[in-house]
Amino acid sequence: MSYVALFGNPNTGKTSLFNCLTGSYEYVGNWSGVTVEKKVGVLRQHGVPVVDLPGIYSLQPLSRDEGVATDFLLTEPCSAIVNIVDASQLQRNLHLTVQLLEFGRPLIIALNMVDVAEKRGIKIDAVKLSRHLGVPVVPVIARTGKGAKELERAILSAKDGHHSRMFIDYGVEVERAIRRIAEQLPDDVPGDKRWMALQFLEGNERLAAYLRDHFDLSPLLAIRKETEQALGCQAAKHIYETRDRWISETIAAAAIEFKPKPLTLTEKVDAVVTNRYVGLPIFLALMYIVFMLTFNWLGTPLADQLDTFFSGPLTDWLSRLLDWAGASPFIEALVLDGIVAGVGGVLVFVPQIFILFFFISLLEDSGYMARVAMVMDRLMEAIGLNGKAFIPMIIGFGCNVPGVMAARTIEQPKERLLTMLLLPFMSCSARLPVYALFAGTFFIHEQALVVFSLYVLGIVVALGLAKLFSSTVFKNESSLFVIELPPYRVPQALTLWRSTWEKGKGFVRKAGTFIFGGSVAIWLLTYVGPHGVGVPMDDSLLAAIGGLIAPLLAPLGFGAWQAGAALITGFLAKEVVVSTMNIIYHVREANGLEQMIAAHFTPLSALSFMVFVLLYTPCLATVATIRKETGSWKWTLLSIGIALTVAYMISFLVYQVGMMFHFQ
Amino acid sequence: MVLTDLHKGETAVVVRLAVEHEALKQRLLHLGVKEGKMVRVKAAMPFGGPVMVEVDGQAIGLRRKEASSIEVK
Repeated sequence: MSYVALFGNPNTGKTSLFNCLTGSYEYVGNWSGVTVEKKVGVLRQHGVPVVDLPGIYSLQPLSRDEGVATDFLLTEPCSAIVNIVDASQLQRNLHLTVQLLEFGRPLIIALNMVDVAEKRGIKIDAVKLSRHLGVPVVPVIARTGKGAKELERAILSAKDGHHSRMFIDYGVEVERAIRRIAEQLPDDVPGDKRWMALQFLEGNERLAAYLRDHFDLSPLLAIRKETEQALGCQAAKHIYETRDRWISETIAAAAIEFKPKPLTLTEKVDAVVTNRYVGLPIFLALMYIVFMLTFNWLGTPLADQLDTFFSGPLTDWLSRLLDWAGASPFIEALVLDGIVAGVGGVLVFVPQIFILFFFISLLEDSGYMARVAMVMDRLMEAIGLNGKAFIPMIIGFGCNVPGVMAARTIEQPKERLLTMLLLPFMSCSARLPVYALFAGTFFIHEQALVVFSLYVLGIVVALGLAKLFSSTVFKNESSLFVIELPPYRVPQALTLWRSTWEKGKGFVRKAGTFIFGGSVAIWLLTYVGPHGVGVPMDDSLLAAIGGLIAPLLAPLGFGAWQAGAALITGFLAKEVVVSTMNIIYHVREANGLEQMIAAHFTPLSALSFMVFVLLYTPCLATVATIRKETGSWKWTLLSIGIALTVAYMISFLVYQVGMMFHFQ
Repeated sequence: MVLTDLHKGETAVVVRLAVEHEALKQRLLHLGVKEGKMVRVKAAMPFGGPVMVEVDGQAIGLRRKEASSIEVK
């Protein structure tokens, strides 16, 4: 299978274009590093496989996600390359284009953001650019899908055909070195030998590692050294400068208009949100408004209505249906006390979760995300991380799994590892039902404030541990930070909705699969006891399991078997904590669960319980992702171990200190 | 003079990229921060935080320490 591969600088709209071409709905956003792994799709109606790759500035990777793109060229066959070029940033975009042209496969340029470029006073003649580069150039607007049809035609006709004859003369020394290296290379290397020789001279580590597997590199290293002596500078610098001159000439020849002017909207917004004094307060205020909307103003009233519907009309209706169908009491109990309680108990929080996802999508799509990383960098530097680590953390508020993945864009291995290990402390949306239930019962008037404090606690714990680790285990490792700040854009309603739905879909799907299955299993555990079936709840298997750890939890204020059982099952997915409680305290009328919980918990033990659920362990899916991304069980188990210890310590403190001051 | 000597809104030409960290230097080059380029300081974060500069209409955030190893005139 030979792919059509999408290459381009970060944040140039590769994934938007990929979605247009293949009819997929992959995740898009307005910051560098949205796509961190390759995604495969099929060109509509033509059956041609297309692959979307993480954005890169050059073929020499500096971070894990960039390595994915270089590895693709080295190891996978491609029938054509589509190079997405940001028309408003031609000079730096064409550096990658030149490297891709030298690779020697058919190439099509998708000239994106021509609208942004025109606003900035840059107008490019696609025909002239095409003539200069020797490849087709198709102007597109990837966000709206304009030009996608023309691009598709260009791909189909260029695929497996000739490649460009574009040639840059790098000067006597380098050209001689290229010839000498090419002679040494075996015939079956991927890409053009000239390309490979140039990449080697530039010091492409990935490529060197690839070649090292096949033969001894010392003669090639000697050639590089000789060349650098003759040049009097690094080969990479010389090659870069030669390309840069060539690119300037190309742009001069292809530009119709080139009087760059600033983008006024971006300037105005940045003057406020990156302001020295109000930048950080503005970010915190925005976050607080998001929480108020999610929990107080909008989300909770909606969730309450849904809850009334589930526990009232829906249960009645189902119960009548089951009676009519002549279902046995066992089935009736399984459906009403198991499935409706377990799955419904989680689904009622859909409004809150969608509102939260909507705001995360808004943050991602507007261009503000990269500014947040910059505003937060000073604080992050103090604890041994960098501002970029804040982006995975914000994504982690939605779900920890994509958060852990997003850490790939962090260049320094130590910073990336730390970010991944501490990410589970970011309070994901699955923990939200637990807070909504407990805070809604015990802290009716301060709900948003209590939940906001829990989120802040998660961040504070993560940052505190980061500081601890970076000043002990990871001492003496340098930290770096550089980030591209894209122009703002007004998010499109459709993109926002899709992006919200794509995130929320996972939650709804989980309710239908994992939580459904979990609810059935948990209900069965309450139905079966060590001494028979249909036993009272307190003699059930679930009570026995929960009872095992209950004594351990007693100092935290929730030593009943019910809490223990809910926490154990919550490892599957944190929503299951709520499902389990719904099943255990099986109550069929509206607000019944809240009354039951009020009888079993005090405000203080509820607070301690919420803190414990926030911190206690990453869920199963997150553990699997951490294992995959770190490639090490040691770090994965450490992440769980740290979480359990910290959760226990902080909950203990909350409860015991609270008792001391006679809070109940 | 180095980049951090500029006040907010001031413009200068890059003379030399004396950035020690090789990967970072590469990244800056690819973002267009190189000798002969005009840079403008757009903002500076408090407490010695990052500075925001603009090159070719592209805004970039980088730390003060690295910005101070970019010589300008």
